[in-house]
Amino acid sequence: MIGSILLSLAAGACGASRPPAELVDARAAYAKAEASNASTLVPAELHVARESLDMAERKFKDDGGSGRTRDLAYVAQRKAQRAEVLGAAAAARGDARNSESERDQTQGKIIAQQQDKLQSAQSAMDAQQAALAAKQAELQNQKQMTEAERTARLAAEKKAQDAMDALAKSMAVKADTRGTVITLSGSVLFATNQAVILPGAQAQLNQVADALKTQAEHHFTIEGHTDNQGTDKVNADLSQRRASAVRDYLVVRGVSANAITVSGLGSTRPIADNKSPEGRAMNRRVEIVVGADTTAQN
Amino acid sequence: MTRFSWFSAAPVAATFILACASSPKPVAQIASSEGAIRGATEAGAQSVPAATLYLQLATESRDKALALVEKDKNKEASGLLLRSEADAELALAIARAEKAKQAANTANERVEDLKESVKP
Repeated sequence: MIGSILLSLAAGACGASRPPAELVDARAAYAKAEASNASTLVPAELHVARESLDMAERKFKDDGGSGRTRDLAYVAQRKAQRAEVLGAAAAARGDARNSESERDQTQGKIIAQQQDKLQSAQSAMDAQQAALAAKQAELQNQKQMTEAERTARLAAEKKAQDAMDALAKSMAVKADTRGTVITLSGSVLFATNQAVILPGAQAQLNQVADALKTQAEHHFTIEGHTDNQGTDKVNADLSQRRASAVRDYLVVRGVSANAITVSGLGSTRPIADNKSPEGRAMNRRVEIVVGADTTAQN
Repeated sequence: MTRFSWFSAAPVAATFILACASSPKPVAQIASSEGAIRGATEAGAQSVPAATLYLQLATESRDKALALVEKDKNKEASGLLLRSEADAELALAIARAEKAKQAANTANERVEDLKESVKP
């Protein structure tokens, strides 16, 4: 009892037992700092503030609200404020670092995207170029083909004409309403009353076959003709067989069988007077009529 | 136990002596206060509104303390110098925090600008 009175007297001697305003402020400031991110970001600074506050509290406990207590409490308040401010600074630095790394990532993404775009543009351009080159090659090819076709056709036409011209030099070739008519003498081709090609006529027929082969687009009519000796029936039959013999020979020599029609006309179409031996000889003949161009007709 | 008593008794005794006898000139505290004020000033505290108040308090306390030292009132001067140093240190911290916040804002603006430029 006496002790407690002495204590209270001692406290009274050094000042009021109620904490001074500075200490109240210091406690509040510390509580605020402790609740802030200073406790995690700058724990050392918060610890300094804690020690400063403890020192002020001890002083208050020992000396009450003396001037020294108030000074220490004032300092403690500032240390607590400082810890809180340093915590905010550390947080700001953390934010800055995050922003920097986010910026780096974004930049990386931008570069990657641009590279992708460039790549696809390049690919598209390559594809276009390839397509263009292909088109160009195709055009070139077509041009060459057309050129080649034209040349080939001209060559074929010239060859056909040349063949007919050559034929005209060695045998009777003339044009009439039926087309181009090649006339072969019966006495050269066949023995009397026979329908077998004489060996001596083969050279002439070969020449005819070669010429006809150049006229691929034309149709041929092979007509057999006789003089007026003998019956019509015999003559028709003989002329038919002779025309067929010529047809067979030409087919063997490579002329298309489908392009040939055969007809035995007997003595119905004389080209000379049957009264003279020369006239009858001229009437005994085989005519090959080269018709119009079948493709042209179609 | 004995050692503990000695250590806790020593500062109490020292305080008692300081309180009752004429104190020596607080040379070290003056230097600490001056150093802290210089540090805060160099950090640009006077141009940071939130820091200027504390820098001002620090200089005022120091000036009062120096006047008291002139009158040989060293004990009172010592308290003011303690306060002055604490004020200046807070001013310095605020100035540095302000710079860190500005840097963070700048970094954030840059990243936002960049993101904006990426948007289709």
